[in-house]
Amino acid sequence: MKRTGLQILVVFWLAGCVSQNAAITDGGSQVQVRQIQTREYDTLNKRDTLRSILATLQDLGFVIDNADYDFATITATKLQDYQIRMTVTVRERDSEMLAVRANARLNENLIDDPRAYQDFFAALDKAMFLTLHDVD
Amino acid sequence: MNFNVALRLPIISVVLLGLTACETVPGNAFQLSETALETRSIQTREYSSLDDTAILSASMAVLQDMGYVVDEVEPELGLLSASKRADATNKLEAFGTLSIDTMQCVFTLMLACTRRNYGEIDDVQDIRLTLISRPQVENRQNVAVRVTMQRVIWDKEGRLSEQETITDEQVYRSFFQKLSTAVFLEQARL
Repeated sequence: MKRTGLQILVVFWLAGCVSQNAAITDGGSQVQVRQIQTREYDTLNKRDTLRSILATLQDLGFVIDNADYDFATITATKLQDYQIRMTVTVRERDSEMLAVRANARLNENLIDDPRAYQDFFAALDKAMFLTLHDVD
Repeated sequence: MNFNVALRLPIISVVLLGLTACETVPGNAFQLSETALETRSIQTREYSSLDDTAILSASMAVLQDMGYVVDEVEPELGLLSASKRADATNKLEAFGTLSIDTMQCVFTLMLACTRRNYGEIDDVQDIRLTLISRPQVENRQNVAVRVTMQRVIWDKEGRLSEQETITDEQVYRSFFQKLSTAVFLEQARL
């Protein structure tokens, strides 16, 4: 009986590892994921927001892979004992409001822990405050 | 009782393995560390002789001097990312491990001839860096340049040996020495 339980666990665990094609389009509930990955700001313009994001990423030890001002997209990598890759995008909601969205992967997994994004946006809030008051 | 424990142990270890399969984010991965301010000052220098774009050009020249290849430039954001692959072998370590492998081979009468010890030492490193030149909002003549660096080290067998953010103050000091010279030259040219 116990052995069966053990076998089931092993099978489940292995199934978790084997994804391949499924991995190409998998992901969580779109609305929920977007919510935890997005914050709205009405303080800085697009350029200063992007610059604040760059400063935050550097503060957190990231090296920037790509950055594009026109599409307001930044991709960066952090190497510790782990590897985190993340993309941060800025979209203009209307003339006043900017939406900043970050999505990150830890090694081969999507980061869907809201706490990680809260930490990131907390660090970004500080950088934006510094940019706004030019005490960088 | 003992039987129970003997059964429980493998089950617990399998559950633990299953849990590690869905990784949790390292607690401090997105938090500013206590040394963030200090790190920032090690990685930053201010220049007032050139504007942010001219500093990017000077930086590009310095990176080329050091053999870097430029991966990404976005002048609108004052950004430059570059990388290079370099030797990471410690000659002494290489000699030592080769000697051990050779001795092992001799002492086992050629039965255990491997490069096991030599294979585990560092071989090459991929170094990547980002440089951002950022004019101050109030006085655009003051430009803050910040550099962050990281590297991945591979062993002789091509396996990942180490990946890290470079924090050694000396590395940044030496980089900025070269950049300061280049900024000076760029300014003289103008």
